[in-house]
Amino acid sequence: MTTPALHLDRVRRVYGPVVAVDDVSLSVAKGEFVTLLGPSGSGKTSTLRLVGGFDQLDGGSIAINGERIDHLPAYQRDTATIFQSGALFPHKTVAENVAFGLRMRKVGTSEIADRVRQYLDIVRLGGFADRYPAQLSGGQKQRVALARSLAVRPAILLFDEPLSALDLSLRLQLRAEIKSLHDQLKFSAIYVTHDQGEAMAMSSRVAVMRNGAIEQIDTPTRIFHDPASEFVYTFIGESCCLRVNNAAQSLDLTLETPLLGEARLYVRPSRLRLGPDAASLPNRLKARVKFVEFLGDTNRYHLQAGDADLFADHAGEMSLAPGATVDLGWLTADMRVFR
Amino acid sequence: MSDAYTTARARLARRKAAAPWILMLPALIIVLIFFGLPTAYMARMSFNLHEGAKLYTPGFTFDHYINLFSNEVFTTAIWTTVKLSLMASVVTVIIGYAFALLVWLKPARWRLLFVGLALCPLLISEIAIIFGWWMFFPKNGLLSFALMSSGLITDKISLMYTEFAAFVGLVYVTLPFCFFILLSILDGMDKRMLEAGADLGASPLVTFREVLLPLTRTGLLVAFSQSFIWTMGTYATPSALGPDTLWTMGFLIQEQMLGRSNWPLASALSMVLVVGVAVVITFTRSLSAKRTTLHV
Repeated sequence: MTTPALHLDRVRRVYGPVVAVDDVSLSVAKGEFVTLLGPSGSGKTSTLRLVGGFDQLDGGSIAINGERIDHLPAYQRDTATIFQSGALFPHKTVAENVAFGLRMRKVGTSEIADRVRQYLDIVRLGGFADRYPAQLSGGQKQRVALARSLAVRPAILLFDEPLSALDLSLRLQLRAEIKSLHDQLKFSAIYVTHDQGEAMAMSSRVAVMRNGAIEQIDTPTRIFHDPASEFVYTFIGESCCLRVNNAAQSLDLTLETPLLGEARLYVRPSRLRLGPDAASLPNRLKARVKFVEFLGDTNRYHLQAGDADLFADHAGEMSLAPGATVDLGWLTADMRVFR
Repeated sequence: MSDAYTTARARLARRKAAAPWILMLPALIIVLIFFGLPTAYMARMSFNLHEGAKLYTPGFTFDHYINLFSNEVFTTAIWTTVKLSLMASVVTVIIGYAFALLVWLKPARWRLLFVGLALCPLLISEIAIIFGWWMFFPKNGLLSFALMSSGLITDKISLMYTEFAAFVGLVYVTLPFCFFILLSILDGMDKRMLEAGADLGASPLVTFREVLLPLTRTGLLVAFSQSFIWTMGTYATPSALGPDTLWTMGFLIQEQMLGRSNWPLASALSMVLVVGVAVVITFTRSLSAKRTTLHV
């Protein structure tokens, strides 16, 4: 087995009574793009800051290319961070920003000029070399930040929620760009985000974090289709929840049937079938339509079945007015029960 | 119809052009009445004659200015004041910068304490602060006692009525202003920039030189000119703490005005002070004029 670009071994960080990072172990292979996904306070950014050297470990070790680096200050580590705010130097031009890390690494002047040009072209900002950050849009600033970090060719790139300050369309565009850059340049990276869409779309592997620990680490497909826990299931996408009996493997319920029990049954709203489609399915429920949201390609039906609130996405035309009763069904393969 | 439209458009344009002036008017009136008029009056006064025991005799002469720049008492005073102010301002800016950096970099929970500390001197009058120094500097004062009991010196010392005491007093009076100016500049900056510097391989010293210093240069210059104005004009602190031979411009102005009843000469001295300060401000402004809107 080859040496991983980055290896965390039982890394720990404690702030007073709070265990921010709780014995996290993680390996990033060369060229791998690993995402740390989790809600705020799950320890993902703390973990990243420990790797970058902006915070000190309370336990465990960090190695880059097989060499321990956790005793080194940030400026001696071969990492490069793309910050959420970009953190560009406002008094330096775009080119000077990109050149900064190269100058610090004592790269020769002509080589610096070449690399600055090369990486500004890569992020498609070739004509912006002499601008100041204040003259750039939010998306352009993050591209400069990306070029600045890429240009030093670090052992590992650290993305600290770089897109969360941008608006949706720009976010989608930039995440596609980062993915294609990764395919092209094959850099190793850790990407921190709370957006499961970003995590799924970009990553080789996703580590879902909760309370400072990694709950599950796997490929996006396996995380999505085979979540290890209820937390991962609910965090990774939208879901409807029903309280059911422990024994329940299939349901055939009516509106009047109380849904009792401690076990929690989950279905994704896109996998819920409505109306006639539901008749032949093994799991069925009668529900009352509360209201309908128009989402463009689909309609989202907000439903009530007994005490449970559900919502189902349906593409076709259905004349279901609020108050109407509708059949609801799903495949057993599409549901998950957690006890 | 089109005529009415044109005149309406013209009126609107005129109003738009006048708007800034109208908005500025109240402040402008206050500035003109309370600062402009007295300065103009002072300028006029500096050309009046001084004969006998009268405060002044209306007239026009350059004598006082000639006197100022030829009489060694005055040239020495001007030089002493400028020297003392420059030194005090430089030291104030350095201490204020270090203090502001500390507060900026420390976690927010320390902030209130430090800001409160910095506010304290502003809540006490200059005279009360001088009384405080009078208990600190003399032979039986706090400083002497502290140095003795810590074993650093064997005989009691007095720093009272030395240029050093005047210097310390001036620094103390201007420090809070300097601190708040610099802190406000730092607060406008993204702390992540320092991390970005380290992240890209710059040692703390290089990050300071390449990132922090250029970004706070304007603030440093503003803080410096602020301190300089303050120390040039402060009269009580250096007079009360310094030696009898420490003749600052402030001291001479009050002496000419109250002691010698020579209003024209006092005015001429004041004019030199005003012009000198104006020159320094203009100079520091010109240093920081480039790209002042970096924080976007």
